[in-house]
Amino acid sequence: MTHPLRFGALVTSVAGARRAEELGYDLIAVPAAPDGDDWTLLTWIAGHTAKAGLVATGLDVARGEPAMLARAAASLDLLSGGRLELALTGAHVDEVADIVRGVLDAGETGPLRYLGEHHRVPKAQRGPLPAHRIPIWLSGNDQRSLRLAGRTADAWVADLDVIDAGELATAYKLIDAAAIEAERDPSEIRRILIIGPGLGPDDLTALGADTFLVRADEIPELTAWETLRDAAGPPIFRPSSVRAKRRPGIDYDGVPASLAGTAVEPGDLDYARVRSTYMRGGAPGLVLRPRTTAEVVNALAFVRRHPELPFGLRSAGHGMSGRSTNDGGLVVSLAAMNTIEVLDESRRLIKVGPGARWMDVAQAIAPYGWGLSSGDYGGVGVGGLATAGGVGWLARKHGLTIDHLHAAEIVLADGSVVRASATENTDLFWAVRGAGANFGVVTSFEFEVYDVGNVGFAQLVMAADDPAELLVKWGRAIEESPRDVSGQLLMGPPRPGQPAFAQVMAVVDNDDPETIVEQLQPIAAIAPLYQQNVVLTPYTGVISNAADGGYHQGAGEPISRSGLIEHLTPEFARAAMNLLASGAVHWFQIRTVGGAVADVAPSETAYAHRSANFSVIVMGSSQRRVDAGWAALAEHFDGLYLSFETDLSPARIEEAFPPATLARLRELKHRYDPDNLFRDNFNIKAAKR
Amino acid sequence: MTDYGHELLFGAFITPTAQPVHQAVELAVVADRAGLDLATFQDHPYLPRFHDTWTLISYAAARTSRIRLSGNVLSLPLRQPAVLARSHASLDRLTGGRIELGLGAGAFWDGIEAMGARRLSPGQAVSALGEAIRVIRAVWDAERAGPVTVHGEYYQVEGLKRGPAPAHDMSIWVGAYKPRMLRLIGRAADGVLPSLSYLEGGPGDYATINQHIDDSAREAGRDPGQVRRLLNINGTFSEFGRSFLNGPAEQWAEELAGLTLEHGISAFILASDDPSAIEEFAAEVAPAVRELVAAERA
Repeated sequence: MTHPLRFGALVTSVAGARRAEELGYDLIAVPAAPDGDDWTLLTWIAGHTAKAGLVATGLDVARGEPAMLARAAASLDLLSGGRLELALTGAHVDEVADIVRGVLDAGETGPLRYLGEHHRVPKAQRGPLPAHRIPIWLSGNDQRSLRLAGRTADAWVADLDVIDAGELATAYKLIDAAAIEAERDPSEIRRILIIGPGLGPDDLTALGADTFLVRADEIPELTAWETLRDAAGPPIFRPSSVRAKRRPGIDYDGVPASLAGTAVEPGDLDYARVRSTYMRGGAPGLVLRPRTTAEVVNALAFVRRHPELPFGLRSAGHGMSGRSTNDGGLVVSLAAMNTIEVLDESRRLIKVGPGARWMDVAQAIAPYGWGLSSGDYGGVGVGGLATAGGVGWLARKHGLTIDHLHAAEIVLADGSVVRASATENTDLFWAVRGAGANFGVVTSFEFEVYDVGNVGFAQLVMAADDPAELLVKWGRAIEESPRDVSGQLLMGPPRPGQPAFAQVMAVVDNDDPETIVEQLQPIAAIAPLYQQNVVLTPYTGVISNAADGGYHQGAGEPISRSGLIEHLTPEFARAAMNLLASGAVHWFQIRTVGGAVADVAPSETAYAHRSANFSVIVMGSSQRRVDAGWAALAEHFDGLYLSFETDLSPARIEEAFPPATLARLRELKHRYDPDNLFRDNFNIKAAKR
Repeated sequence: MTDYGHELLFGAFITPTAQPVHQAVELAVVADRAGLDLATFQDHPYLPRFHDTWTLISYAAARTSRIRLSGNVLSLPLRQPAVLARSHASLDRLTGGRIELGLGAGAFWDGIEAMGARRLSPGQAVSALGEAIRVIRAVWDAERAGPVTVHGEYYQVEGLKRGPAPAHDMSIWVGAYKPRMLRLIGRAADGVLPSLSYLEGGPGDYATINQHIDDSAREAGRDPGQVRRLLNINGTFSEFGRSFLNGPAEQWAEELAGLTLEHGISAFILASDDPSAIEEFAAEVAPAVRELVAAERA
């Protein structure tokens, strides 16, 4: 493990920093104690530059509480796009560095408690999580400082004005010895050297450092030293502290080269960003993040070599049925494959990557006057939803999301890349629309979208004194509504001392306010309203309901059950409200299907329960109680929608797919994935031959 | 009726959220382009969902060209006075005089203590703030010979090098509500910066704030007009007037002009993370308030 050679320039102005960046320097360094505050100057420079690394070479740790220093470092790293390195100097720097590391380690759960001899941090919250693992530089030429650097630092910086070549060599030896004693690889520790101008390539090589910070009145061009630069890209470097967190059974060193740079393992800083999903906590052993179809092929080859490990496939990590995180296994995250492009404007044909989020899709196509109904939440990823169904805000008018799939590019279990459409690999095209997760990784979707103008969006809070009656009336009103109307009804368990209510949301796909009001009227009339809000909005205003930024921090395991039903009968409604009153479920949600969804013949796609008018979902926290309560409703359902089902029992597969559909899926599973590589999401067993 | 005759300032009070990373910077850019005078940021360093406010201000300063920036207000217990002085002076020089110093004695002591700083009683915090202002002004006083020496109860500074001096006569604005702090402001600070949402009796409470500051300033031999009266405001732009600062821009303008003429408030800082509200405040409210106040003052 050797570090690629880097060059930095010591500067005290934006002009100097920009010049250094122009000349190709890797680092912009602000010297210790310029005239004024070095951290402020460095941040100011960060705001005026784009690429180079940033460091204040002698930040005095006495400037504030160490925990504050960590917050400042995280902020500058985030704001600058991961360019910060942190050189600490001053009294008790060992304790300060420990605290800084502890605060920056936002993946750790629980606050930081640190009781040192000189610094005490009772319980600081950790974070914010920086953009990258900020290297901590230490300095000091005395034995104590050198040993500390060897034990703990990511880099050690010296100044050739203060230390000569002979002393430097001795210092490096001491650092190496201390590193070995601490069971570190000495080469983990970068050697930074501040030099004057005028040294030749041979001089630098002889000095043995890997990063040279040039102090000169005029920043020299790098041409004289260019020969020293490693032509190859930087090696992927993980220090021993990171490797110590690796999980058994994973060939970490065998990660394909194309994926190694973006892969995340448990010790990495980015692990906190990728370990969990929206609703589920996780601790995978390795997350691969392909950016291209070719990289997906490589990722699947790596997964095939680990048949005994859990394997999760993730687009944006909202899924409930799919286990897109796990404990100690592999995850292939498609988040980086998130492009959205218009293929053919005259045919309204778009091409979307599996990692895009639906609100981004909606916003990208809105300027053309187009829309594509997806789910009800904009943060959901394209891949999982568009291979299962897609029950969205415009479902009754425009059908399921999969009903608008024109073609898909799929990487199969054996690594082959195929295209599926109405004319190519038609069996696969059928299967991917409803059971896609069992057959491959869809690397791009082509959808034929439709015109969507402004829509009416109603949010109503309704009295539910007799909740069962309300359900029946709502169900009837929906079934009698024109197809413009889609929506959902949400109820929580009754609360003592509070009136019972239901939240009803409806989208009317019509841009005429009078028509909207007219079509909402029968729904609004079924019960007294506690609150009502109706707006005329672009479709993007309905679906853009997820926050930007941040990352999933789900914990535990969600428990949800799903059922499809044709009519909300009084018998069903009573049973449903009994379940709600039992407290076994947190809420009860009914979404509208029917309408255009039922225009597609059941045999046409793997999603076959076309006759249902409603999709029913409950969520709870006890599997046993939810299952027991749900059993009382089972007789009313005909099928389920797998995106809202968490139960892994084989019986659920038979409910998700009617017999003829399932038989065909099992035949196809045998053909396309005989070794059952894709098994994390409603696993369909291959037909036996 | 009290009006100290200060030139009016209009600003934005921006949440320093760390996610999305650049949201706060982008809002400062919006405020800059919209023509507001101030972009200010709250400071709650114990909460990791926020950026470090000083780092954010320095970065936002680099991304804006005209607007003045300050903390609103910086938490003194977690920040060293000498570092505050140097960092503000440095950034003021780098920006050509666009920085002001907003300072608070500390509000959420559980959080402050959790980070490793010492818990102070309200009275101690006022004294500490007074000492901090002495240190800050001494560091800025670069012309004076000899190093900075302040032997305080909370801050001990011995032989500290002076400077740099800010590029302009930087103001120290202090967040305050209670008599002791208000009296300190009357003696030693350049502005008072409360939030409307914390004034239990509404904007009328400003009369008491002014009373304390004015009395204390006169006792200290200062002209009360040396202390600017600022106010963080919150409200909603809506088509029809509903309540105070909930209505159309013309209503806002009349209400804010009333506060200037009634209580001498000369800086209104809108708490909002909504770019369109910031733009409406700059485009519709600020000029109208200026016009109304100018007409009355004339």
